[in-house]
Order: sequence, then structure tokens, then C-alpha cells
Amino acid sequence: MKRSISITINGEVYEETVDQRLLLVDFIREVAGLTGTHVGCSVEGRCGACTVVLNGKAVKACLLLAVQADGASVLTIEGLAKDDALHPIQDGFWEKHGLQCGFCTPGLLMTLYEFLQNPKHSDEEIRTAMSGVICRCTGYVHIVEAVKHAIATVEALPPEERKEWFPV
Amino acid sequence: MATANAWVGQSIKRKEDHRLLVGEGQYLPDIVLPRMVVMGFVRSIYAHAKITSIDTTQAAALPGVRAVLTGADVKHLGSVLSDMSTPNLPGETNRPIFWPLSIDEVKYVGDPLAVVVARDKYTLEDAIELVDVEYEPLDIVIDPEYALQADAPRLYPDWGDNVLYHQHIPAGDAEAAFAQADLVIKERFRCHRTGGQPMETRGCLATYNPGEGLTLWLTTQRPHIKRHLLAEYLNLPHSQVRVIMPKDMGGAFGTKAPLYREELMACHLAMKLRRPVKWIENRQESLMNVGQGRDQIHQLELALKKDGTILGLRDRILADCGDARTAIYVGFAMPFLGAMYLINGYDIPNVDIDLTCVVTNKACLTPSRAFGSFAGRFALDRAVEMAARALEIDPVEIRLKNAIKTFPHVSAVGVHVDSGDFPGSFAKACAALDYDNFRQEQSEAWQNGRYLGVGFSMGVEISGVPSEVLVPMERQPGFGVATVQFDAHGKVQVAEGDSPHGQGHETTIAQVVAGELGLSPEDIYVTYGDTHSGPFAAGTIGSRGASYTLSAAVLAARALRPKMANIAAHLLHIEAGEDDFVFRDGHAILTRDESQRVPIAKIAEVALLSPTELPPGMEAGLEHTSHFEAETAGMHSCNVHAAQVEVSPDTGEYKILRYVAVDDAGQPINPMVVRGQIHGGVAMGIGNACMEEFIYDENGQQLTTTLLDYHIPSSLDLPHIETIEHNVPSPHTPLGSKGKGEGTPGMVPAAVANAIEDALQPLGVKITDLPLTPERIWKLIQAAQSKD
Repeated sequence: MKRSISITINGEVYEETVDQRLLLVDFIREVAGLTGTHVGCSVEGRCGACTVVLNGKAVKACLLLAVQADGASVLTIEGLAKDDALHPIQDGFWEKHGLQCGFCTPGLLMTLYEFLQNPKHSDEEIRTAMSGVICRCTGYVHIVEAVKHAIATVEALPPEERKEWFPV
Repeated sequence: MATANAWVGQSIKRKEDHRLLVGEGQYLPDIVLPRMVVMGFVRSIYAHAKITSIDTTQAAALPGVRAVLTGADVKHLGSVLSDMSTPNLPGETNRPIFWPLSIDEVKYVGDPLAVVVARDKYTLEDAIELVDVEYEPLDIVIDPEYALQADAPRLYPDWGDNVLYHQHIPAGDAEAAFAQADLVIKERFRCHRTGGQPMETRGCLATYNPGEGLTLWLTTQRPHIKRHLLAEYLNLPHSQVRVIMPKDMGGAFGTKAPLYREELMACHLAMKLRRPVKWIENRQESLMNVGQGRDQIHQLELALKKDGTILGLRDRILADCGDARTAIYVGFAMPFLGAMYLINGYDIPNVDIDLTCVVTNKACLTPSRAFGSFAGRFALDRAVEMAARALEIDPVEIRLKNAIKTFPHVSAVGVHVDSGDFPGSFAKACAALDYDNFRQEQSEAWQNGRYLGVGFSMGVEISGVPSEVLVPMERQPGFGVATVQFDAHGKVQVAEGDSPHGQGHETTIAQVVAGELGLSPEDIYVTYGDTHSGPFAAGTIGSRGASYTLSAAVLAARALRPKMANIAAHLLHIEAGEDDFVFRDGHAILTRDESQRVPIAKIAEVALLSPTELPPGMEAGLEHTSHFEAETAGMHSCNVHAAQVEVSPDTGEYKILRYVAVDDAGQPINPMVVRGQIHGGVAMGIGNACMEEFIYDENGQQLTTTLLDYHIPSSLDLPHIETIEHNVPSPHTPLGSKGKGEGTPGMVPAAVANAIEDALQPLGVKITDLPLTPERIWKLIQAAQSKD
């Protein structure tokens, strides 16, 4: 069974006719060709590498069908930077060595994108915010530092500029 | 003139990160080719069974299905293992015969018995469901001790038993040592099945045409080794096989080092169907097949004098290798090396080790970070702790008494340890934990009903594996290799023979080459992974990046300097050689008159774009390949870890309050990258030691085939990990650098177990088995209390 849907990803509209059973993550990767979003588990929703921001909320794209996102606005890792300027969360990860193999990184960045809009500051709160994404390389120590770096950057920005980094 | 390498020791941001942070990494699943089809497996649902029939008609008839093959279709390929792909070790070895798909009989849950090819993965999943397999279940053997019994079912009846590998490793006179002992500690230690499990599963994409031959994109740590084994198995000339590890790979930790049956299947299908065949393993398959490591029983005995001196060690090691059907390691290379590294950082002159590796109806053991030594290091460091308690000697003191004191050191079983400093490392760990005051704090806590404990472990970890070890073990070289090649614009390409996937080679190799040549890391680009564009090497294994491969890059860069100096002298119209120049700030600078300088970009331009300006008779080009082999049979990193825990006696739950890792990187190239490696190694160690376990039930069904069941630690499960440097430069590498990260998980289980047992001293528990789940600790507390 096929259905025609329209999903806006990183500001671009994708009008496609897809199988109803097509997962959102496959729509993003295979239909839109945005391979920055990764799949790390058998769509059980535990690894979190496929996390994207859908209508402002971080969601696991392997747990949604593409048809459920009909009419929605999706932000993926490819949409975080503005031209050559990295998003504060991307910059924090780079400065603090918050990634090694990079496979879980898209999921972490998109999860933390939501968190950074209203950040909390303790290690425990930061660790809680990212606990839905598994990283096998870093032991999370540098990721906590990366998030703190990003929080400091975001909180130092004037309100308008800060808002520009969080369009959805 | 030799100058200090200005970029060594700088924590610069990684060059590989930008593409990964903006979603432009190129991982295997991202590669798509025209006419590509996808491949998936029908896998056994029984641990041991005869296949009585396979009906593929319905699957084959499904629209979109391109092929369905069973074992009978691949029998002509022959058995997977050859001399080249089987470890060549001194013990008695049995070799299983098997094909890419199982024929007539399956030996574990997850065993591939048929393959389906379809136009897309949704059709593929439907078709796999439609393959109808009938089985006749056979008796199974899941327990390795049962596997040794005369009445146990046989996995390979022609062997006569279930013993895959057996080796007796004696050194010194253990019998005399035990006869003289004041104290003998004798204990059975059990390490469960756990291991790597990277976030990206396995995958490959194979294409074939008779002109160029086979090209295989593969998630692998060792493209060159896979290439020559594929050529052998598929009966193709070596010139007709190309293996490419994609630019990026989502971790490996040892699991992507073996040659697997699935990869062979993809190649065969690409040749048969003459179209690109892609395979992406799903997580369930991954948890059924890879990352299952450790799994050993140690019957360990330690002979000591009253003063804590260890006189000798005996160990009967039993390793459960599963079905032993992967190539290169065949399930037993890991326990072999684990046995050789058993005594590790301890100087024990008299040993008697007996290693038996058995096959069972489980997935084949795969290599996992801390290759083979995780279980043994737990056992020995636990036994030492027990001895310390029995002799009322401080756990740090007993370790210092028996640690390797003088370097270089050759262990009783012949492991060469080049450099290290255990007293210095212990001093830093103790200072960080305020250990001098801890015992007072601990006894006060006990009085208040709180259970605090500290545990230590020490280790000697591989810093690359030399040819002297790797050639006999795996029929592969241990050298590091790199080609350093100037382009016509003064930038430098470094092609290495390994295939990094998170270790940061693009940055650290750029740093050292930049430093050797007076350039900036921005001027250097590192390439790897393609057997058709990089030099031959064994691959990214055993912490060889910063020891072997990076050293090769340093030597290759240094080898260019005489020619660069000659060109510079010629351009300056002076008589001068290498010793008259320094290479700094992008220039070759004459040391006696620093105003006399030539831009390095100009030197490269002359060497490549305008060779007419070269000195008369000089060959054009500016490149060199170096093979680095250390002048020793082993380089190592010597480390001390300590954990501080608080245990709840009511529930067995415990919290790691502090984890302090004192590590020796020789000379760190990028300290931030080194810290990252240690954090990750400790995290995997805590996961493996405390919460992860592959569980098979009594029917051989694997109960941990999702990440909900196989619990990899989240950010909430791990403590902050503190890293402290205690570096002793290796005398055998040009910069003193050592490899880091591979062995790190092996430090963890004893440190945490010793801490828990230390905390529970008033209750008298004895920890011998992993994993350290709260349930296990609670049961130990219950048992100890009921004894009172």
C-alpha cells in the first residue's frame, strides 16, 4: 500500500509516494538521501543513532513510519550548521573531542539540540538528557564536557542570535 | 639537523571531526551503486540440529527476489579455512570444516543456512520469512566443562572430542615453587561471555566484473589481510581483488578483524549474479554472531612466601570458543594470547599454564578489545588480592613487591616488556584517591553501616604486536607502514596501511609528519583503507597506531629531509646538506644564517612541477615509504587503575564513586585523543565486567539479541572516569610513543571486583565470577551471612 506524503527536511520539501510501512529513518536516508542519520539497532529504539528533531522534539526515526511524519518539519544533522558556521553543539563536540568513530554522533547532536534550548547544568542532568543514545567509544566523559562547552556558548549569545540556532 | 617535533604533545582538534559533525561521514551503509541488490540470511533457530529440508520456492517466487541459495549451492567453494587463515600456534589444533552457509547441520542459534537476494531490504525481510526450514534437533553442548566429558555431543565428530586447541605452557619450576610456599591461594574464576559490539554492525558491498575482478567495500580493521584471504578462497588472482574500508566506520573493537562467512557469501553472489550485492547486518544478527568474547574458566593457584613474594603460578584455563567457524582467529587465537599474557605485569618466575579451548553450540568467539587477556587478568589480580588479605599485606604493597621492577623485562613465558614504572603509577593512583587516609575513612564508614572499598589492578598492555609474534601466530607481519608523499603544492599525503575508525590517525599522524617536516597539520592529509592505494599492512589491531604505524610515518618523513635539503641548497646556490637546515614554519632554514631559507612548498614544486630546477642528476618526486619494526619482541604500556565503590549490603547494588586510570602513553602525540581512548576502554571494561552478558539458555537459545537485553552502558551507567598520565617513553619508537586503548578494558574487572570485596570485608564475601551484577553481589552477601 502506497501513500503520498510531504515531509519538510532541513527546510526542503519532499513530496513522495511511499510504502506505508516505510520507516521514517529510511525515508530520510534512502528517499531524501540524507545519510548523516544512522541506524545502529534493529529498530528497537535503543541505540538512538537515528534521532532527529521532528516538530521541535527529538525522536527516534526508526520508531516512526514515514507516513506518520506527513506534514511535519524534520531537522537532521545536515541541517544544524549555517553555511560554514557550526552549531554550538557541533562546535562543543569538536573542541572537547566528544566523538571518536562518529556513528552515534548524529543521534547525540539532535538529542542535545532539544536539550540546549532549555539547558540544565549539572553532570547528572546532562547525562540524563543524553541517556537515550548509546556511545561505545568515548565513555561519555568528553561528551559531557562538549555539552558544557555548548551550554556556555549558547548562554553567552544575545537572545536573537541564540534563537537563530534553534529554528525548529 | 634534528629538531624537536613541535606538534607532539599538542591537543589539537581532530581533522576527521568536521565531516562527522555535519553528517558527511561516509560509512558502509551510505554507499549505493547502480543495479545494487541486498542480501540477507536465513539463520538457524536451533543450537544444534540436522537440516531435514529447506523449501525456498515461496521465497523465490516473491516479486523482487533475485536469488535464494542454500548450503548445497556453495559446497563447491570448499571449506573456508586454509593454512593461511588458521592460527599457526604451537599447541595441538583441530580445524573445523565449514562453508559460507551451513550444509546439512547447524551448530548454533544464528548459524547461516540460506541466503536471499532481493531488490530492497523490505522485500528481503519478507522473503527470509518465506524460506521454510525443517530441522531435526540434536543433543547440544552449551557448558564448556560438559564439552570435555566423554558423553558430550560432538560438534565435529571426526575430531574424536570437542577440543579445538590445547597447549601446555611451562616455565621455570612450578612444582618446586609450590613445595616451598608458605601460602597457596587456589580458586576457580569464571569470566562470562561479553565483548565488543560496536555501534555500526558489520556490512559489505561486493561487485565483480571479469576485467577488474572483485571489489569489496567492507567494515574491516584489516583490508589487506582480507584481500589475500579472499583471493585464496575465491580462487582469484591477487591482482583481481580489491578491498576498501570506507572512509568511516562505526567502531570495531576487534570484532571486524576476523574474516566472516557472510563476507565470503557476498563476494560469491556478486560474482555469480554479476551485480553489486550489499549486506548490512541487523543488530539482532550482530548480537547473535559478533562481539562474543572472553568466556573462560581459570583454576588458578598462586604460591607465595609469607612476605607476599609470589613464587609460582599454576592455571588450568578452559576457554569456550563456540562453534569456531570464523577465519583468521578461529575462536582460539584470543585465549592463546590471553594465556601468554596471564602473568602480565607480575614478575612470576615459575609457571605452569595449561590451556584447553573447546567448541560448544554457541557463536564463535570473536576478538574484543583486551584480546584474550580480560579473563586472566581478572583471575590473577583477584588471586593476588586474596593473598594480600590472607597475609595481611596492603594490596598496593603486594603488587609493588611482585610487579616488574627492571626494564626491559622478559616474562617467564617470553613476553618482552620494554618500559614502564609501576611504583610511579601506583604513587599517582594512591595520591589521587588519598589512599593513605582511606583506610581510616573506610573503618569509620563501616561503623556507620556504610560499605566503602578501594580496588586496584595493574597491567601490561600491548603497544602493537611485532612480526616476531604476529608471523607465527597469524601468518601476518607486525610492521607499521606509511608512505609520505609531497604533492606539487607542498601539501603532504600520508598513505597508511592500517584502517582507523575512531582512533584519530588523520590527526595524530598529521601532527607528527607536520612536526618532522616543519609544516602544520593542516598541510597533511592521511589516506587509508583501500588496498589499491595504500601500502600493505596487517591493519588496525592491538594498539599499533601510535606505536608502529605512526612511527613508520615519522621515519618516512625523516627520510625525505636529505633530499629536501639538497634541493634547498641548490636553490640557494650554496653547498649544504641535511645537517645544515632546520625545517620550521613551512621553510627549510639554513641554521648558520637564518635569512637563507626556502619555502617547503617551493621545494615540492621543484621536485614535482618544475624538475628542470632540480640539482643535476636528481630524480624527480618527493616521497618515501617506511616499514617500521621495533628492535624488540614486544613494546608495552604499563598502567595502574583504581576504583572506589560504595556497596549497599541490602541490595547488592554498588556505585563506582571514583575511577582513576593512571596510564602510560610513552610520549602522547595528542593527549586529548589519548584520554578519549582510555575513557572508552574503561567504559567498555565497566560494561563488560558489570552489566553486559551474552546469555544462552539450557537449549542454547541466545536470550540477549537486542540492545534492551544486552546492556551496553548509557551515560547514566558510568562514572566520571579520571585519567592521569604517567608516561615512560618507549626506547624503541622514534618519538617514544606507545599505542593506547586496546588493552584498557582488561584493567577494569579486577579493579572493580577488588573494590567491592574490599568494601564488604566485614561481611566476608569472596568474588570469583563475573559479571558483577547487583544480583550476584547480593547472593554472595546472603551466602556469607548464612555461613555465619
